[in-house]
Amino acid sequence: MTNEATAQIITANDLLSGEVVYLSDAGKWSPEHGDAALLGNVQADARLSEVQKSDPSVVGPYLAGATQRDDAPSPIHFREVFRTKGPSNRFLGKQAHAV
Amino acid sequence: MPLENPITSVSDRVAELNHRYRDQDTSDVLRHALHDPMIGPIALVSSFGAEAVVLLHMISAIDPTTPVIFIDTKMLFAETLDYQLKLTQELGLTDVRRISPTREAVFLRDSENLMHLHDRDACCALRKSEPLEGALAGFDAWISGRKRFQGGQRTTLELFETDDDLRVKINPLAHWSREDVADYIAANNLPRHPLVAKRYRSIGCSPCTTPVGTGENDRAGRWRDDDKIECGIHFASDGSAQRAPANVIVNDEGFAPEHWRGEFSSFDDLGNISEAQKAALAVDLSNVADAAALLPWIDQIDLIRVEFPVFSDGRGFSLARQLRLLGYQGRLRAKGHVLADQYAMARRSGFDEVEIDQGLAERQPEAQWLARADWQARDYQQQFHQCA
Amino acid sequence: MYNYTMFDKDFVANRAAQFRDQVQRRIDGSLTEDEFRPLRLMNGLYMLLHAYMLRVAIPYGTLSTAQMRALADVADRWDKGYVHFSTRQNIQFHWPHLQDVPDILEALAKVDMHAIQSSGSCIRSITSDHFAGAAEDEAEDPRPTAEFVRQWSTDHPEFAFLPRKFKVAVTGSKHDRAVTKLHDIGLTLVRNATGAAGYEVSVGGGLGRTPMIGKVLREFLPRADLLAYLDAILHVYNRIGRRDNKYKARIKITLHENGIDEIRRQVENNFKLQRARFDGSDQDIFARIEGDFEPPVFKQASIGGYEATRNDDPLFRSFTDTNLHPHKNTDYTIVTVSLKAHGATPGDASSAQMRALADIAQEWSHGELRVSHEQNIILPHVHKSDLPSVHKALRNAGLATANIGLISDLIACPGMDYCDLATARSINVAQGIATRFDELKLEHEIGHLKLKISGCINACGHHHVGHIGILGLEKRGVESYQITLGGDGTETAAIGKIIGPGFSADEILPAIERLIAAYLDLRLDASEIFLTAFRRLGPAPFKAAIYTDEVKNHAA
Repeated sequence: MTNEATAQIITANDLLSGEVVYLSDAGKWSPEHGDAALLGNVQADARLSEVQKSDPSVVGPYLAGATQRDDAPSPIHFREVFRTKGPSNRFLGKQAHAV
Repeated sequence: MPLENPITSVSDRVAELNHRYRDQDTSDVLRHALHDPMIGPIALVSSFGAEAVVLLHMISAIDPTTPVIFIDTKMLFAETLDYQLKLTQELGLTDVRRISPTREAVFLRDSENLMHLHDRDACCALRKSEPLEGALAGFDAWISGRKRFQGGQRTTLELFETDDDLRVKINPLAHWSREDVADYIAANNLPRHPLVAKRYRSIGCSPCTTPVGTGENDRAGRWRDDDKIECGIHFASDGSAQRAPANVIVNDEGFAPEHWRGEFSSFDDLGNISEAQKAALAVDLSNVADAAALLPWIDQIDLIRVEFPVFSDGRGFSLARQLRLLGYQGRLRAKGHVLADQYAMARRSGFDEVEIDQGLAERQPEAQWLARADWQARDYQQQFHQCA
Repeated sequence: MYNYTMFDKDFVANRAAQFRDQVQRRIDGSLTEDEFRPLRLMNGLYMLLHAYMLRVAIPYGTLSTAQMRALADVADRWDKGYVHFSTRQNIQFHWPHLQDVPDILEALAKVDMHAIQSSGSCIRSITSDHFAGAAEDEAEDPRPTAEFVRQWSTDHPEFAFLPRKFKVAVTGSKHDRAVTKLHDIGLTLVRNATGAAGYEVSVGGGLGRTPMIGKVLREFLPRADLLAYLDAILHVYNRIGRRDNKYKARIKITLHENGIDEIRRQVENNFKLQRARFDGSDQDIFARIEGDFEPPVFKQASIGGYEATRNDDPLFRSFTDTNLHPHKNTDYTIVTVSLKAHGATPGDASSAQMRALADIAQEWSHGELRVSHEQNIILPHVHKSDLPSVHKALRNAGLATANIGLISDLIACPGMDYCDLATARSINVAQGIATRFDELKLEHEIGHLKLKISGCINACGHHHVGHIGILGLEKRGVESYQITLGGDGTETAAIGKIIGPGFSADEILPAIERLIAAYLDLRLDASEIFLTAFRRLGPAPFKAAIYTDEVKNHAA
């Protein structure tokens, strides 16, 4: 899913709660995909390696492809869509927090 | 190979050359050096890395037939190989010699391509220093792209140096700053290494190179997490790379300094040890060694040090067990990346002590190791071997 | 059941305390995530898609009522009020917070439970026959051996950082219910010509990317040599197993690349050295463990009421038709409680259901519960006269689904609804199939069928050994499901064969329907189960049914 034209976001899981989080423009971790900073490939690689090296507050940060939709970054891959919601067999995770 | 009949020694020539070229512009240094009667045949040794294009461009302008030696360690980034082909073509270089370690050497010493994990110096020797040594046969001097601003041992770099009193080593860019490099590349509109865009500022082999963060030294991405700073073709004049402070020995009482005063022999040296060495014999073992091969010396060895390249590689524990099963009764030490959480495992597998570097000792202080000093407690294995 | 000694209790409590310290050191920065990861994995703590997951070991699938209640308490207090019984005789909590895990482990330690070695590159929790000590067809009880091996493998200093995970199964029945031949080491209890107890040892079985059936390394290993021989196998594997490629690191590949003769030679050489370390103390421990597995005192009572209720109550009759297995004591039976209510998530149980199961086991199953790798709960010792009461209590808890061994008794890994490795969902496919065949009222007609679903190539849903296997993959950015046929996880183990191109999430259920319709058409009679029909006919007629011309055109 990653090609040169795709923008990237940085995502991980929170160290304590395990919740899915996204790196925002301000360099903070947010539970909302909409807060994620959309990065170009080169920029994304650099930010990711910074985060991997120096941010112990999250687990397993990685890049995921995203596109700008309705003024907010939106996931491309179905796996990342699931991560913005929660399991489909139970109403738990982010989908439940949103209520 | 030096000149047939060198007029003076290499070090005398180097002193003279440094004096003579002191105030010259870099391309003049190169232009003149290539034809200086005091210097025999010259080759440019290039990594085709982040800044290599500067010297390659200069050489191509002066004499594109100058031999260029490119060491393909067989672990380079694909981008480097592409870049080498591209530059060679664009600059019209006619004598680029791509050299590699021999298949036999790699097969014998690093068939799994994992040596970089446990012995980076040996890996550099196998893949860089030794092939280069062979390729430099017949040359009196070689040109390198090292610069003072890169730091480490390079801050005192001279234009001319001796290379082990065998050859002259020329560092035309010794005084260049990072900005000088950037300006030159921009002014001449030279192609950049593709990885530069991904924050790589010094590019070597892929397993040992990482991007560099803001504010970090340009070479911080090389051998990251290791105190190694030079690859081995540029070792300090005493023949060793610069090292961090002494390691810490951990035993059941906590941290202690090194107690072994003698040398550590390698497994390969065992065939040639002298009687004197036998009196106090310590051996370094890779964690892939076969303990059975040590059997002829097993009663003579006082200390065996087993390398732990990375804590998640548990082969060292089995090697320790095997050594003990074979009757080794001397001191047994686990050296390298061993965690405090593994101390009990190490002791139970047959090790007496652990050797860690200062960095790890700081991150995992003595108390964390002492918390595992009760390694004999709660041991299921011990129950099964009650009377053993 | 095995009674924890003071030694065991002290060990588990200490490990929980150790992990509390490790968690603290991760939070304060003494440990990097890279360093903490193997430590948390060794204590069963994963990071999955949406949250942490804590996998608690249920060694060889045995559970006391107190343990079941404690697990329910953990689910309520620190998780979301439910648990997931996995396909490896473990239990999983899918929503714990890191800082709560030490408290959870401490609570579990109080009932002699732990999460030690339930993940990571070490010797994993020992699996066994879930009917052990009860089944009529059992030759010898595998549980003492399983417990013995559990103790040997626990915190084994040499084998905590192996090339890859390592799984051991033990069985003592001619009907293999533990998928023994698909474990890294499979131990089958056997007797030699002189009647001495020992094991047939197979190695190199495994599912995953490269499924392989284990090969026999030793046809007869005397019981007294078991631990030395296991030490030798693991020692050889730890030294020569590949570490350069995760997908080639399991012992099945080591065996494949070196050949069984070379592995046997190395193992036997090392075994000679290892054996010298044993002085018989281990056999005293074995004898002590064996004493803990004495059968319960079975009651003497009439079973007349059982047949009477069967005649009167069709639901009860249906339940007892499918969910019972013959017990050694003919007045008793083994009840399998299905965690596969039609449309539910296979293997999930609410805390209320868990407490109900604990109550039922307390009253009617000598206080014992078992967990099967098929994601069901077993009441191993139920007197037939108690069955009507058991059935009623199960119905009240929503646990009386009468479908054991049928198509809706399928197993499924959590898939992409939870798992970070998954390439597709599996739960939704399981729910769809179970619901559909229930609607069609066909599953009793179809009869015995093992359907197994994995959400990725790692095969936690054991799809390779399903009579029908479904593997969820990703194709061009969408979920795609591949069907395998003819797999078998029993003593006649076989790896299923891929039948053809995959189906989308919408197409997989109709494809399974066509497959089943073809089977009903093609079978000799109702007694010929799917697997037998498949073995008789080969894949061609099933393939033709799955890939109709319309489907082919659509796919093209």
